[in-house]
Amino acid sequence: MEQLIKELKLKIIDTLNLEGVTPDDIDMDAQLVGGDLGIDSIDVLELVLMMEKDYAVVVKDRELGAKVFVSLRTLAEYIYEKSPEVSR
Amino acid sequence: MTGLHIYITGMGIISPVGNGLDQTRAAIKQSKSGIQPLTLFPVAQSDPLPVGEITESFDTGDVPRTHNLALVAAREATVGAQRSPDAIVIGVTTGGILTTEENLKDGYTDPQLFAHHSVGSVAEHLAGQLDCKGPVITVSTACSSGTVAIKIAVDLLNNGRVKSVLAGGADSLCRLTYYGFNALQLIDPNGAHPFDKNRNGMSVSEGAAMLLLESGTQPPESAIAKVLGVGLSCDAYHPAAPHPEGAGGIAAMRTAIKEAGISHSDIDYINLHGTGTFHNDLSEARAINTIFGGAKPPLSSVKGAFGHSLAAAGAIETVVSALCMQDRLIPANKGCEVPDPDLNLDPVLKPSAAELRTVLSNSFGFGGNNAAIILGSTAKDSRPFTPTPTADLAVAGCACLTGSGDAGQTLDALSRGQDCRGILPDGKISQKLSPNAVRRLKRLPRMGLSLAIAAYEDSGLSDAPSSVIFGTGWGPLSETYDFLQKLLESSEELTSPTNFVGSVHNSPAGQIAIHFQSTGANITTVGDDYSFEQALMTAALLSGGMADDDTMFVIGADEHHERLSHLFDRSVSLDTGRSDGGGALCIKKSGADPCPWIRIRVSFFERAESNLQVVSSLVSQLGGEEAIREKYGLVMPGIPLAYRNTGEKQLKDFLSRTGFVNPVFDYRKLTGEYASASATAAALAVRLIQKGIIPEPLGGGKPCRLEGRGALVIGLGRYVTAMEVLP
Repeated sequence: MEQLIKELKLKIIDTLNLEGVTPDDIDMDAQLVGGDLGIDSIDVLELVLMMEKDYAVVVKDRELGAKVFVSLRTLAEYIYEKSPEVSR
Repeated sequence: MTGLHIYITGMGIISPVGNGLDQTRAAIKQSKSGIQPLTLFPVAQSDPLPVGEITESFDTGDVPRTHNLALVAAREATVGAQRSPDAIVIGVTTGGILTTEENLKDGYTDPQLFAHHSVGSVAEHLAGQLDCKGPVITVSTACSSGTVAIKIAVDLLNNGRVKSVLAGGADSLCRLTYYGFNALQLIDPNGAHPFDKNRNGMSVSEGAAMLLLESGTQPPESAIAKVLGVGLSCDAYHPAAPHPEGAGGIAAMRTAIKEAGISHSDIDYINLHGTGTFHNDLSEARAINTIFGGAKPPLSSVKGAFGHSLAAAGAIETVVSALCMQDRLIPANKGCEVPDPDLNLDPVLKPSAAELRTVLSNSFGFGGNNAAIILGSTAKDSRPFTPTPTADLAVAGCACLTGSGDAGQTLDALSRGQDCRGILPDGKISQKLSPNAVRRLKRLPRMGLSLAIAAYEDSGLSDAPSSVIFGTGWGPLSETYDFLQKLLESSEELTSPTNFVGSVHNSPAGQIAIHFQSTGANITTVGDDYSFEQALMTAALLSGGMADDDTMFVIGADEHHERLSHLFDRSVSLDTGRSDGGGALCIKKSGADPCPWIRIRVSFFERAESNLQVVSSLVSQLGGEEAIREKYGLVMPGIPLAYRNTGEKQLKDFLSRTGFVNPVFDYRKLTGEYASASATAAALAVRLIQKGIIPEPLGGGKPCRLEGRGALVIGLGRYVTAMEVLP
């Protein structure tokens, strides 16, 4: 799980082109969307695409998305639970 | 002068529910739906998504689908007309992209195959087919384009510049929008059901609608309805999501109601934008509730039946509104079964009879672009428009970007006898931009934003401009290419929502609005090498309704794209080097007399094809030979390389007719080839007039004083245009 979180931090920075943001700047439990990182609804969809591509995890509806993208922790937990690609 | 009324005297429509007015009428009466699974092109998904596709054949020639759709509607709208329309203003978002997608997929690289790619080529096709001399303007403000086009047409008529305008919108289905909206999770897999409790997105659609608009003091025999008012606004909130409280929608509706000189209680029916997405319908419902409170007239969205045809939607719904006024019918909000109680709307679920004398129709789009139009029956008295003659625009600030850098660096290079061709590195363009604010932006929106910031700084104004008018020949090519490339590489499975949102032609103008919180009109015009002239003309028309202390941006820019520019732009493909850039003006009303600012105006805009008189018309429009010799110390001809021969002949004709002996600065030879080079030229003209002196290399070997004279920036080639820049 820790490895996954580390990996996700880098992927978020890379996918969303968050210039000047380091992995340490991303707080596990901080509000992910609309928080300090400036992540909005389009970014969330970019992350959905990344999850589909890299983890074969699909988030197709708004209500589920609202639960998954609460924080980095919830996102990691969801991928951990659903992804066939994550080594446990 | 007596006030003018604007009459709709002809209409044409083609949509998934029918081809022509008769079929459309019947479909509305029967509440027929045109939504079904896509068949137009093969898709990777096992179940193609439901769309509004026109399945019957309608081909009118060897041009892309959007061009054909537009022409079908245009022919119907002008069938009873005695003469060609004086002008054409239409909304288009994707032009010939369906054909382009197929060509790119097949790996074709012959520029000839992309000859109808441009968004502006649809209007040009109509102008050729209908023998319209112009002006010709294409509006690309995403899903509000059709309605914004009607607004510009109305202003052209009020201006007295023309007597009749063909206005409307057209868009065909294509992979870009089909997959793009899907990547945004905005498509309802069961088809759109606007305002329903379980709504889950829109249905992308296609079609075209055209209206012949004529001005007059009395209704002509063919009058169908009157346009009473059109309101525009921008949310300046987010590139794709609407303002949660509907602030922009409220502003657009209030402006339209005010222009019409009516009260909201006079409105008998509202044709809602109602796409069926969760957020659009919520935002629109809040806006409607804010304005109408507990006294809402009957209302419905037709997008459950027609789908959302993007740039065509506003025009289609204006035609539907006019038909319903004639037929005394309220169209059904197809698809809605259980209205969402949270929206506090009560959409009309079945076609219902009603007397409709005044109708409001909404269109909202990406970039927070909002438009609202009010139609009135010809039988009912209404307040006429006050004619608004073209005012000069005062230039409070200006900026440009070229291969040499900003305006100062460009003029330095030119003064040293160097050219300013080339492509500035992205880092240089983004120098003044905050990295996080532009992290999702590629080259064109960065250029646009940089230009706007530089022009604003140059102006020294304390308040930021409220309106943004942006001209671009080709739009955001990097985003368009990256979107399509990713789609093709992933066998049509993965598409980037960011690239889709960024690919719309109006995304740079939307970014500028967000940066400056510019909540006034936000318009992007597209017309190949004459896009900036279209923007400036649009700005001049809109300035009639601008407050005295208000300001606006008028910007033109085009990016060079390694893979696409030479396929799309013939002048680029012929050029030995690669260049891009643009120019920006921060504009005020000229107001004070004498005006302390440099003034600019578009005095001429005509098609050159089968128009032998075009140069003599230009000369006479500018006041004749003697006036031209006296007024201008500099002529700046813009001749796109692909039209060098034609353009040089036109220039020679102009110079010999006028006996012009002052310097002639053939600027494309120094700026290089890009569609909005004329925006750069306009900004340079302003700077040269400020200095009062033309540097030696541009003055034909000796420095030349302007001595109170101005510069004339003329566009040559397929169109002849004139921008006067006067001290």
